Amino acid sequence: MSDKQLTDWRQHAQTLETEINKVVVGQQTPIRLITTAIFSRGHVLLEGDVGVGKTTLLRAFTRCIGGGYQRIEGTIDLMPNDLVYHTYLGEDGKPHVSPGPLLMSGENLSVFFFNEINRARPQVHSLLLRVMAERTLSAFNKEYHFPHMLVFADRNQVEKEETFEIPSAARDRFMMEIPILVPDDNAIMESLVFDTKFHNVDALVDTIQADVLQFDQLNAFSALLQAKVEASPTLRQYALNLWRATKSPSDYGVKVSGVDMNRLVLSGASPRGMSMMMRAARVNAWLNNRDSVLPEDIHAVFHSTVAHRLVFSPVYEMRRTEIARELLTGIVNAVAAP
Amino acid sequence: MRLISLSLALMLSASLSALANDEPSPEIPEGALKISSINPDRNVGFLMGDILERTIKLEVKKPYKLIETTLPIVGYEHRYKGQVSGIELRNISHTKKENRDNTTYEIHLAYQIFTTAPVVKPAILPAETIKFQGPATADAKDGLVQYKIPPFYFRISPMAVFGAVKIEEDMSPLRQPILLQPYPEKQKLVACLIVLGLSLLGLLYILGSRAWLPLMGKPFAQASRRLRKLAEKKPEDLKTALSIVHSAINATAKYSVFSDNVSELLAHAPSFKTIEAELTQFFELSHKVFFDTQSTTNYDERSLVWVKKFCKQCRDAERGLKPAKLKKA
Repeated sequence: MSDKQLTDWRQHAQTLETEINKVVVGQQTPIRLITTAIFSRGHVLLEGDVGVGKTTLLRAFTRCIGGGYQRIEGTIDLMPNDLVYHTYLGEDGKPHVSPGPLLMSGENLSVFFFNEINRARPQVHSLLLRVMAERTLSAFNKEYHFPHMLVFADRNQVEKEETFEIPSAARDRFMMEIPILVPDDNAIMESLVFDTKFHNVDALVDTIQADVLQFDQLNAFSALLQAKVEASPTLRQYALNLWRATKSPSDYGVKVSGVDMNRLVLSGASPRGMSMMMRAARVNAWLNNRDSVLPEDIHAVFHSTVAHRLVFSPVYEMRRTEIARELLTGIVNAVAAP
Repeated sequence: MRLISLSLALMLSASLSALANDEPSPEIPEGALKISSINPDRNVGFLMGDILERTIKLEVKKPYKLIETTLPIVGYEHRYKGQVSGIELRNISHTKKENRDNTTYEIHLAYQIFTTAPVVKPAILPAETIKFQGPATADAKDGLVQYKIPPFYFRISPMAVFGAVKIEEDMSPLRQPILLQPYPEKQKLVACLIVLGLSLLGLLYILGSRAWLPLMGKPFAQASRRLRKLAEKKPEDLKTALSIVHSAINATAKYSVFSDNVSELLAHAPSFKTIEAELTQFFELSHKVFFDTQSTTNYDERSLVWVKKFCKQCRDAERGLKPAKLKKA
């Protein structure tokens, strides 16, 4: 039965990717990574320039996953309570309190979309951290549970005015940080500019099939998937070597141009980060119709699951994206398996 | 005290013996000595530098005893009428065997010729005089008697035909002096230089990480040699073989090669493009053996043979040769 479930769900995943690829073109790799995160039950942080389609991408996924969907915009005056409730004067002239975005859908909340997360204050980040890690929230003398919730967030790194850098502890709660780049293909660039269907995002997102996945079954299926896809002793050793290399890259002969390797890494990947990497690698193996993880599965998710967890010396933080990319590529090139 | 007396007696005896060698003594009584000798098998045709050996066997009746100090000494040059004969004793040895009523002495003598002449020259291995200690008699009150070993007559041949070489007519100032030819020393010197040269080459080879010899130290050449040593019997041999080939691939590419980045290897080493399909097969096999937890491909002799052939293919590609195609493992 479980094999049939694995096959059926793989079909759903392929449908999901096909649907998303219809409306977000030239982003096959981010779409595969977000699909992987959904089946790994991990939160996703998208990073990219303004207007490259981050929000459209997340809205498209939200439509396909189904369930409750809530969205909030990150602003400098956003406070934690704005996520929990809001107050207003009713028609009766009396003050009323109604549930905020987090509570509005109750346990059916499947996607909480935090737009421009780096514009929100650290207090908001702090609340979000707990919700992301524990999927619970205490409000109105009651404990609320969000068992199916995934947080999709995006940020742009171009603007630095009135933004707050997401601390490393908060970054670590996200399973993946996925860069969204403008496609380099001329045909795709042309269609994005001249094809009018891409001009109206709401209409565009409405064209894709809704509720491709059953959001309330994803947790159970994810547990089954993680149990079914196995990792051999050789692969385990390989993953451990990768982990060690993130902590001490110079021990593996990894070099980054213009960087003092002995001073670069203050903290390598966390145990949580590595376990998330392996969860994602298992999903990647399953999506490729395998029941064992290969090093190539780890490679597919290595950058997106590890890069944002590395803590560099402050002097190198300004070049984080570039250095992290070169460092992780160097690690993959340096660590052999078997 | 007795020891001192004995020492003095021995010294006196030695002095007497030395004296006995110089002074003529009466001949040993007839019948007290029997001689037989082995001489060179010819007595002509000897040249300067030749060594003539003779063995003298003496049976001396008891109580006569050979005084060993009267035997000729090495380096002794016999003189004839005050002139050096040019025959020099090069070596002497003797043995002694006691019998019931006599003593047998066997004396081995080796003479070397140090003379020559323009024409054939008569020569002689001299009659060596040796002395014996016997009982005191009227003739020999001290008991000393002597015996002359019969001489051996022979002829020394000239070094060249008489008159054929006239040194006076061959005195060219351009001719260098005739020197001794140090052939054995020269040969030893050449041998030592050869050994030294080989040692330096070996040292260079080791210092060069065994990779400077053409086509010998490259990764797949080394991997092929290591694969040849595998026993093909142990279950872990296939894993070992795959690991060896993985290491060689990584060393060639200078990074860890996986099936998802093999294209960079092909760009870096285009000679491997001819075996791209085999590279894919290799990674499939490696995945089965190392990462597929459901797979039973732990040991498969056919796969091991295939890996060895694949490694040879890679070695050929490494050498710029065109490798032969392989069947699927």
